[in-house]
Amino acid sequence: MSGTAANDRHEGLDHDGPERGDAGASVADPEAQAAQILDQRYRSYSGARHGLAGAMRAVVASSVRFTLGFGRPARHKFLPWLAVVIALVPAIVFVGIAIVLDIDLISENILPEYHQYYGFIEVALFFYCGIVVPEILVADRRNGMLSLYLSTPLRLWSYLASKAVAVTVTLAVITMGPLLFLLVAYTVEGSGPDGIGDWLTVLVRILGSGIVIAATITAASLAISSLTDRRAFAVIGVILLLLGSQIVTGLLVEVAEMDPRIYAFNLGEIGDALKDRIFGVGPPSPLGEDDGPPGLRISELSTLFVIAVNAAWVAAGAAVVWWRYRRIEAG
Amino acid sequence: MSDAAETVLVSTAALTQRFGSTVALDALDIQMRPGVTGLVGANGAGKTTLLNALLGLRPPTSGSATVLGLDPRSQGAALRAKVGFAPERDVLPDEMRAVDFVRHLAQVRGLPRSEARTRASDSLWLVGLGEERTRTLGTMSTGQRQRVKLAQAVASDPEMVLLDEPTSGLDPTQRTEMLTLIGEISNEHSVSVVLSSHLLEEVERVCDHIVALDAGRLVADGPIAELVGDGEGITLELVDIVEPAGTVDAVESALRGTGIEVERTGTTLRLGGAGRDELSDRARDAVADAGARIRRLEARQRTLADLFEMDSFEASDS
Repeated sequence: MSGTAANDRHEGLDHDGPERGDAGASVADPEAQAAQILDQRYRSYSGARHGLAGAMRAVVASSVRFTLGFGRPARHKFLPWLAVVIALVPAIVFVGIAIVLDIDLISENILPEYHQYYGFIEVALFFYCGIVVPEILVADRRNGMLSLYLSTPLRLWSYLASKAVAVTVTLAVITMGPLLFLLVAYTVEGSGPDGIGDWLTVLVRILGSGIVIAATITAASLAISSLTDRRAFAVIGVILLLLGSQIVTGLLVEVAEMDPRIYAFNLGEIGDALKDRIFGVGPPSPLGEDDGPPGLRISELSTLFVIAVNAAWVAAGAAVVWWRYRRIEAG
Repeated sequence: MSDAAETVLVSTAALTQRFGSTVALDALDIQMRPGVTGLVGANGAGKTTLLNALLGLRPPTSGSATVLGLDPRSQGAALRAKVGFAPERDVLPDEMRAVDFVRHLAQVRGLPRSEARTRASDSLWLVGLGEERTRTLGTMSTGQRQRVKLAQAVASDPEMVLLDEPTSGLDPTQRTEMLTLIGEISNEHSVSVVLSSHLLEEVERVCDHIVALDAGRLVADGPIAELVGDGEGITLELVDIVEPAGTVDAVESALRGTGIEVERTGTTLRLGGAGRDELSDRARDAVADAGARIRRLEARQRTLADLFEMDSFEASDS
């Protein structure tokens, strides 16, 4: 208390009637009499409730934030954002080159076309799926949040669907983000598609291929993650699936000269193949002309086969997750 | 009887849950009314299974249940939007702030984001964690984490909350505070509470009604006031003094000599076989004659523990 305030209070003792700021003054003051306590703290709520849709939105938003490390210590932000940086930095470099050299670098084959940029994205994608995605399912089982979620309007399917959407959205940031950046930057710089029609076509292809690749890898990553409560095991499992399938199928087809349909088990290649179809990129060269024996190229697989295999990966991943969580729920 | 007392929040009819050959719930016919209902039984009695059935998390093998007028099997989502739940298990993510955790669960239970944010803060103030609301859950004590679980259960303004062993892991002081809090939530905010516990003493302290289970069977169901009440006899506890020696023995033998029933445990004598006034007079005379000192003299109440002892109910933590 300040000395002035203390003196005022002391001097007030000599006066008749209530002092300023005294409780008695409040009673005499009509305005004070009309005062209300507005902060009622805990009270009942009779407003709108958003039901299952609101619950799913909340889980998606929370999971996206969790995956990207928002509201978590710095060590949880590092890996997801490193993946984003890995995916985005080449695009920034290419745009910088395009601006500095001021020529149509795509037409001159100096810069990669949009579909070719996925080579850079693939590294970030595998890194993100291997290290970051497993945590999105494993954490809820490990800390018991799953049981709490299931005591809300959410059911198992809606919980898992929300998680899958969250992973797909964050993966789409990696699969689409750099390409959308390239599209806008090339357009501004003057190296973009000709006319609004071509521009929209490229945009649709970027969005479509981004979603397809994200969905396929999401399903596989979540399937592996659902099988263990240990994040480390999930990480190893996802990395083994992504890299191991590439190595094994590559050896079988390229070295042992087996049927290229074995690439159906190569998660990276089969997604890549569908992306090429979406971008309208056919077999790069007539059979047998390229290095490597004829009939051993994934680009020679039929589009229908490629679509079916990607769909099968998504369905199989979803089935594994569903089977695993039904068992957890029953337990 | 008041309307509130006549209102039935939860009713089950022959509710049965089997896991293989194990009968977890055995044809339960239960009615729960507004207020605090104690769901009591030893570990493995079926308390958590019953809570899961009432939330619609697991369809019963047979029988039916109605909670807040809804069928948990066919209207589970609507029901769970009206019911808060705090599981026994520690379910708090360590890295999350308390206010973010409570807000998130309120949103998942259907509240708009802005309302959930406000109510999360209000709920944490309600449970005494207002000043701690921005702390991460991993840095909180067991008592604080139990309060956070309670806060998330009430944040969405449910009509009823199901609390599974909310005092688990708490010391006696924290346990008392938690029970007081649960009583306040029911009395001051009109939220009905189903409190699952294996401790009769705490159920007796805070609950209006009791549902007691033993190995999946219903042992008791009704208002506590009807189940417990005045017992018979008095309890006389003496101070074990050195000089004169043997005063407790002297008082015991003097009372037995007058035909009073005496049951001794250490320095405590449980007296019966006569009216309370007569027992008090005899006890007073015996104590005076022996030169003993009284620590406690009180009329004996029948407790839930007494009740279940009569029914061979194992109420202890097994």
